[in-house]
Amino acid sequence: MSEEKKQDFRVVPGAWELSGYNFRVEGRGMRLMMQGMKEGKFTGIRCGSCGMVYLPGPFYCRKCLVEIEEPVDVGDHGTIRSFTATMSDIRGNPLPEPQVTLMVQLDGCDSWIMGVLRDVDWREVRIGQRVKVKWRPSEERTGSLQDMDCFEYE
Amino acid sequence: MDEKVAVVGINYAQGDDLGLTRERLCFQTVKGLLVQLGIDRHAIDSFILASNDFLEGRTISNVFEDGPVGAYLKDETKVEMDGINAVVYGALRILEGSYDTVMVVAHSLCGHQVSPYLQVQYSLDPTYDRQLGLLNELSGAALQARSYLRRNGLDEGWLDQAAARELAAGAANEKVTRPLQGMDEGKVGSSPFLYEPLRELHCYPPTDGACAIVLASAGKARELTDKPVWIKGFGSSIDSYYITHRDLTVSSSAAEAARRAYAMAGITDPEVQIGLAEISGLFAHQTPMLIEALGLAPEGEAPRGFAQGSFGREARLPVNPSGGALSAHPVCATGAVRVAEAFRQLRGEAGAVQAGEPRLAVAHGQDGLCMQQNTVLVLGI
Amino acid sequence: MRNVAIVGVGYCPVFVSKRNDVSIPEMISEAIHNAYLNCGLTPENVDAFTFGNMHTFEGVNMPHLWSIDHLTALGKPIMRIATGGTTGMSAFHCAYYHVASGLYDVVMTITFEKHSEGDAQVGLAGIITPEIMTVLSLGIDLTGGSGMGGLGGGSAGGISFQATSYLHHSGAGIEHIDAQAALERRNAAKNPYAHLKDPECTAEKIAQTPLVSYPIRYGHICPTTDGATVCILASEDKAAKIADKAAWIHAVANCTTDATTGNLIEGLITDPAEQMSCQLAAKRAYERAGIEDPRKEIDLVEIYNGFAHQTLMFLEKLGLCEVGEAHKMLERGETEIDGRLPVNASGGVVSTNSIGTSALNRVTECALQIMGKAEGGHQVPKKVRKALAHGWGGLMQYNTVTILGDAPLKR
Repeated sequence: MSEEKKQDFRVVPGAWELSGYNFRVEGRGMRLMMQGMKEGKFTGIRCGSCGMVYLPGPFYCRKCLVEIEEPVDVGDHGTIRSFTATMSDIRGNPLPEPQVTLMVQLDGCDSWIMGVLRDVDWREVRIGQRVKVKWRPSEERTGSLQDMDCFEYE
Repeated sequence: MDEKVAVVGINYAQGDDLGLTRERLCFQTVKGLLVQLGIDRHAIDSFILASNDFLEGRTISNVFEDGPVGAYLKDETKVEMDGINAVVYGALRILEGSYDTVMVVAHSLCGHQVSPYLQVQYSLDPTYDRQLGLLNELSGAALQARSYLRRNGLDEGWLDQAAARELAAGAANEKVTRPLQGMDEGKVGSSPFLYEPLRELHCYPPTDGACAIVLASAGKARELTDKPVWIKGFGSSIDSYYITHRDLTVSSSAAEAARRAYAMAGITDPEVQIGLAEISGLFAHQTPMLIEALGLAPEGEAPRGFAQGSFGREARLPVNPSGGALSAHPVCATGAVRVAEAFRQLRGEAGAVQAGEPRLAVAHGQDGLCMQQNTVLVLGI
Repeated sequence: MRNVAIVGVGYCPVFVSKRNDVSIPEMISEAIHNAYLNCGLTPENVDAFTFGNMHTFEGVNMPHLWSIDHLTALGKPIMRIATGGTTGMSAFHCAYYHVASGLYDVVMTITFEKHSEGDAQVGLAGIITPEIMTVLSLGIDLTGGSGMGGLGGGSAGGISFQATSYLHHSGAGIEHIDAQAALERRNAAKNPYAHLKDPECTAEKIAQTPLVSYPIRYGHICPTTDGATVCILASEDKAAKIADKAAWIHAVANCTTDATTGNLIEGLITDPAEQMSCQLAAKRAYERAGIEDPRKEIDLVEIYNGFAHQTLMFLEKLGLCEVGEAHKMLERGETEIDGRLPVNASGGVVSTNSIGTSALNRVTECALQIMGKAEGGHQVPKKVRKALAHGWGGLMQYNTVTILGDAPLKR
């Protein structure tokens, strides 16, 4: 196919609409976590077979392939397992300050959660540092992911 | 093909709305089968999933299926077609020699999750057919039905009879949890037209469903069950996309797929040697068409014979004692369910819908507009 | 189990951002035509086909149905495989099993992606649509500014977490990712079938591209490309008659782990840089290929790297060097085209990414290197006896490995 060939094409519009789906998502694990967050704590689920603690909890353990149900309180202190500093928003517009997002493994939990770390120089953040959750005041908590405001250093 | 690959276990469910998330449906289906076979997920060497992104509403639909089927840290892949092809792929993996067990898990949630007929809609040519807007799964099937009726000198009432046969069989099948009682010829014939001559009950119902099947190599099969069902042969073929290039009154790719499967299975006279057929006819005219294509009836006898019940449970060659896809169509799972139904028939475990004592059965699955692509599997005990 | 060889490779003529001169079926048929030309076969010789792409990217369901009249496959078996980023290699593995089963002698794998006709962002977001809808209803802040969840990484997404963790565990720095990206762009300039080419590329040039989300710069990220790649496989006795130089399949392996960084409902239990499924897939492949010391026996590698740090990370996870060693090998020039262990002589996925082909291209590039047929100056000078091709995809979870050799494996 030679490069000199003129661009000879029709543009034919098309659309793939994602409407028309009625997704079902497991309710229990998220509901447990939301209830806990309203109270200013994290509630995960433990696998009775291998002891893995998940947050939020699925209905089964993927290692053991058994249903898991045991709710367990997970601490709100943890260790940074990974992080990033985002320079622009999801549309590509530059942010006024780089936004630091952490992946944190909370004490007593095997899964990691994500949240933002504010008022830090992103160049000073390291894997292994200790952080804790900053909760919103109890009167502002409604059982939503916003009940947790952000992370802060211990 | 000699006894090299066997189906050793099945577990499946179908219904208008199984009341589950897809993760739980996959989990339950797989767990049920593992318990049945007395093994855990580590006894499975390879997982082959069958699902379709467009039906799931998710790109890479197997991303969140791996966990619930037990494939965590194991070998897994996905066929994006009718699940019967995943069974074929599983057989190829075992024949290669690296694996002793393969689990196939095919599912769709068309009963509650997604607008019906979306799958075929998006498989149409986006530059012309989709723009023109005249062709869709139903209008294509209706064109085919009209051609078939005319070629065989049948009237529209024949469609009612053919559909009623399948629905009556489905009503007796405890593996189809749908309200099919009383779907007789009259009921079918008074259901509303969707695309003339096809009425609502001439067309498949999109359903929820999942089907798990474990395949094993010869040595392993005998460890896992005392009644392995051997895969004797399989074949697949595909017609042109353009329905204007095809004779819509015959399914030449189904005939070719069957020819290849029979050759591999050493079957020279299918009409005589095959004892049972589970065929994925999605519209009332398709199962009789496919009976002809698969060489299971003398020329010209299938349409009237089917409508009159000469392929029923008591017949020498029962077709779709399960009720077929017209009774329940969990899309990606449908062909796999045909394999599962044939499996239990061969083992004499089909309960209320047991159709004699077949020794050799065929299972069939299809994809595409007007049965464009077809796969046939021969099973024997 | 019988030996299977790659006897023919066909690429579409160019891999570029927009192929406005061909439709999807036409573009695929270019690659098919070239595959036949390159090995002297015709459609009558091919027994079966496998086909792969990520069909939500173009919005055409099961495009092999629409394209069939262009694929020279009418009447024959054709199986569609779709596994995200690993699709190209998964479709190739399916073809391998067809031939190795003993039932088919010559099988063609067809892969493509025409990103310009779809919306890759919509396609990618579609991986987790129900999860996004759920956490939206539970109060997630899509800007990532507050609350649990974060959704950090901007348009680079969760991959930035993988890169940060990799740097931490290996001791590498962002300057090594810059250098790796530059090396791949220079290699791509020697590959007529690559997309982003820059023969003068340097780490400094890459370092000038803005950070999207630390440590990912624009210069580290793959493009979206239109392209098609076809590969023809044959059984041992057929291969001998078709090609005097073939690339022999010694092992195929695959492994999946849990979805990471998108697993907002089920909990993220795995470090995205751990890639246990890569370690396991590689181990299985080495066992099957009878390779005891991959660091001595593998002559060349093609790694699936949508992001430049992944070349270094996967080199370690594939067991081809110690943890913390990959960036030092890069510093010493060992992974250059004329180095001790050439890595991504083709320019990798970071230079060319039409997703359906990307994992297959890793195999075809290894095959071409073994056959001595890599064009444009990226054929490595050393003799390639064994090569490893790696594929990656899903939500950071799928890993596929293929090991090729210049002679059939003695079984």
